[in-house]
Amino acid sequence: MRAFGYTIAGSPAEAVRIAARIPNSTFVAGGTDLLNRMRDGAESHEHLVDVNGLDLDDVSADSGTLHIGALARMRQVAEHPTVRREFPVVAEALLASASPQVRNMAAIGGNLLQRTRCGYFRDAHAACNKRVPGSGCSALEGHNRSHAILGGSDHCIATHPSDLAVALTALDATVHLLGPDGERSVPISEFYLLPGSTPERETPMRPGELITRVDVPRTSVTARSRYLKLRDRATFEFAVVSVAAALRNRGRVVQDVRLAFGGVGTRPWRDTRVEAALRGRPLSRHTIARAGRTLVRDAKPYEGNEFKVELVQRALESVLGALGDVR
Amino acid sequence: MTRLVGRGVPRVDGRAKVTGAARYAADNEIAGVLHGFLVMSTIARGEVREIDPSAALAHPGVVAVYTHADMRTLTVPGFPYNRTFIPMQDTRVHYSGQPVAYVVAETLEQAQEAANLVRVRYRAEPPVARLADAPDEPFLPEGFRADQPTETVRGDAATALEQAEVRLERTYGSPMQHHNPIEPHTTTAVWDGETVTLHESTQGVVFTRNVVSAVFGLPPADVRVVSQYLGGGFGAKGPVYPHTLLTVEVARLARRPVKLVLSRAQMYTSNGHRSEFRNHVRLGATRRGTLTAVIGTSTAQVTRTDERTFNTNDSAVNLYACPNIHVRQLGVRLDLPTSGYMRSPETTAHFGLETAMDELSYEIGIDPVQLRMRNLRPTDPQNGRHTASRHLPACYRMAANAFGWKWRNPLPGTTRDGDEYIGWGMATETHSHNAIRSTVALTIGLDGRATLRTATQDIGTGTYTVLTQVAADELGMPLGQVTTLLGDTAFPDASLSAGSSTVPSVVGPVADAAQGARDRVIALATTDPRSPLHGVPAEDVDTEGGRLFARGDRHRSDSYRDVLTRHGRPVETRSHVENTRGHSFGAVFVEVRVQPRLGTVRVSRVAAAYDLGRVLNHRTARGQVIGGVTWGIGFALMEHTAVDPNTARVVNPNLSTYLVPVSADTPSVDVAFVDQPDSGSNALGARGFGETPGTGVPAAIGNAIYHATGRRIRDVPFTQDKLL
Repeated sequence: MRAFGYTIAGSPAEAVRIAARIPNSTFVAGGTDLLNRMRDGAESHEHLVDVNGLDLDDVSADSGTLHIGALARMRQVAEHPTVRREFPVVAEALLASASPQVRNMAAIGGNLLQRTRCGYFRDAHAACNKRVPGSGCSALEGHNRSHAILGGSDHCIATHPSDLAVALTALDATVHLLGPDGERSVPISEFYLLPGSTPERETPMRPGELITRVDVPRTSVTARSRYLKLRDRATFEFAVVSVAAALRNRGRVVQDVRLAFGGVGTRPWRDTRVEAALRGRPLSRHTIARAGRTLVRDAKPYEGNEFKVELVQRALESVLGALGDVR
Repeated sequence: MTRLVGRGVPRVDGRAKVTGAARYAADNEIAGVLHGFLVMSTIARGEVREIDPSAALAHPGVVAVYTHADMRTLTVPGFPYNRTFIPMQDTRVHYSGQPVAYVVAETLEQAQEAANLVRVRYRAEPPVARLADAPDEPFLPEGFRADQPTETVRGDAATALEQAEVRLERTYGSPMQHHNPIEPHTTTAVWDGETVTLHESTQGVVFTRNVVSAVFGLPPADVRVVSQYLGGGFGAKGPVYPHTLLTVEVARLARRPVKLVLSRAQMYTSNGHRSEFRNHVRLGATRRGTLTAVIGTSTAQVTRTDERTFNTNDSAVNLYACPNIHVRQLGVRLDLPTSGYMRSPETTAHFGLETAMDELSYEIGIDPVQLRMRNLRPTDPQNGRHTASRHLPACYRMAANAFGWKWRNPLPGTTRDGDEYIGWGMATETHSHNAIRSTVALTIGLDGRATLRTATQDIGTGTYTVLTQVAADELGMPLGQVTTLLGDTAFPDASLSAGSSTVPSVVGPVADAAQGARDRVIALATTDPRSPLHGVPAEDVDTEGGRLFARGDRHRSDSYRDVLTRHGRPVETRSHVENTRGHSFGAVFVEVRVQPRLGTVRVSRVAAAYDLGRVLNHRTARGQVIGGVTWGIGFALMEHTAVDPNTARVVNPNLSTYLVPVSADTPSVDVAFVDQPDSGSNALGARGFGETPGTGVPAAIGNAIYHATGRRIRDVPFTQDKLL
């Protein structure tokens, strides 16, 4: 790890000011991923701005919206009574993430900005366009079991590892940012970029911008929502495939449904055509299967991850079957 | 009278470990120490063209950057050094992650960062990383250890197979795996004139001393190796590896002590691994299930420099009573580090045999336990003893009863609980154990306290505790009156703690030395007119609780302390007793819950029973079972090292992406022991055991998955993609 400068920020404005002034600086909260990336040599920063002391850790709900402060810890959000009761997919996604120790440390903003677990990205000596633009992608012809079948390019097929981001994507959350030019907000559907030919660019955040809050709208589907995570061991492991689902139906007919997928896309994956295939139709094995086929219509599997094409459809069937009581 | 041996005595070093008082190898604080960090090759095959250390040397705190140009020519030692070359002796690169330069600096952080700044230019050649990619045919290497031949022939297996009523032919596979002890490898080398002391994380202080002595041409007495506690070894710290030798040389060059701690990532190329493995198994049997032929041809990875293989197909040769055996262990040359021993080496091939036995049981239509019972071996072919697997039927019976095996419906795919299919599988557990000549010294001081000294080591398995129990019982002292000191070559030479050899090798000498010391103290008392025991025949004196009693008249008594105080000199004994090699046995029964639509597998129950001769400590023995079964679950369900097929670099060199089981993957294990002394073992009837539990678990899980689903998977790990 290279030596770096370090400042403890006293206010959000100060944090943003310092980060905007010092090139190649970044914010640190829990540090559970950032410090590993720096140790592994996947990333280096001249300066870290510690934002742990900022007053951004509140979790609250009003009639229309759940507000999650960027510095709320994963555990705090997962255990929040309103989140558990009215946004279960968010609580489940958080509890399915990492370990209790990590959840005690890791903040929501950092969770959304954690970077891919692709082994080639984390190995400073492997070719990786995300880490060193133009160096190539080792995963295309290497180990790609954990990689994406949707949204990839010839430059990168790495998945985004956050479970929370998948749940928030399903629920149309909004990410609030504070930057040198003031505040702005970005819908989560626009927050994660496809890799295209610039996989090093993962979000539209500008230099010095800090996530301050995430807002989740309360809708008629949020209370009946679930997160299904399939992985290679029982806990403390990233998703092979995951599904965030929220459902409202009348009788057997789907009134509204929200679906997002983890482990299969280069970003938390949402495809409204999949939801459209279900909305207004009776929930059955048949309609779920059709929605699943819609999801993988444009899938591009590789040698190691071909199974995900089938597995993600079955995961969808499993989670909707449980939510909609389909037998 | 035995009061401590056999009981589940808590660890005598437990308090020191949980309070942090226990000093592990890297916990030393040596004045003037330099911190080392290795620069590893980033190519797998080729040559170092140029090393530019200038940026590293300019980094604050950096004292030196050593390369092959700085090193003396060192003597390549034999086993237990595991490679045929020492890195940094020339420019050749044999694997990715081979040391090419060694940075020393005032702090660890400075050394690490300077290592990043060393610029190395290579001439690279394309490497071969996987068995399937090797252009050459597998070949039969020469065995490098006489006790582990690469080919074993008994009878005429080819003809017997041809004539067999039932034939089975299958291929099983397992990937590269790494040990991942939680304590990283560490060496601190401290020279004093022409002698050197190493604070080393090792499973064998004597082995390490012998290797260092051979490499540097030093008399063994001038090399001292200390390893008081070990944070796990699992074979990764059994042989001696290059980083130890390089640290010794660099400390000499730097004229200062040097401490090296490998990073987690570096441990994926520095200390061996379980080789990628293929096992082609052919079984011939009668219709009743008597084995008539066992042919096992395994293929493991070797290297271009080295032909050693480490995963003997021992159970195919020794477990079942088949007259016709042909076992061969082939090698394929890859551009990877030399592999090594990994707990438990025989699991690798045993997985194939025990899965094939399950497949055979379905072919023939008999219960898999019955099939094994029909093929029991009456003697251990390795030592001719009749008792070796005498209690294996009891293991099957005890574990099967605890598990409820008799309720099993043998038809696959018939038991469901909601979405989950339930499957039951079993396998035999077995592993060989070694016995290594060991000497112990025991001293009873003027305070009446006994101190045991021997240069074996406790690798976390409970050796301090068990040896203290044995000595205390033989002396007739309470546990707290005996201190056991291990892990230092200043003590008499003793066994490596690998190959399940510590107990069978060291317990005999400890018991003998303690008996000798007790007899000496009794003789002192009975011949001392000042002792209440004066004149009592020595054979009529008992010892208990640190006191000596006249049998039949317990009012006539003396204490170790009083006898020694009057004597005015400590009593010292030394002993070595040689034991024989052998095997331990067991049976493991596993329940899995499978969701076939999603490909998920969960191990929900495990019951196991073992024959390891006499159980010296039920608590530490049970600990070995829990550990071994957990390893077996990891082997079966998740563990694998991913090696990039194009660069031959490890892709997952960290505990975030190299998965090992967590608590939620491991149910509690129902453990039983036969606990009958083995009269053939002079370690109070105990055999080596540590590597036996877990050997059958991967096969038992695969067999249970078959029973749950009707799907037979022959390659571990049994991940979702294979079960869909």
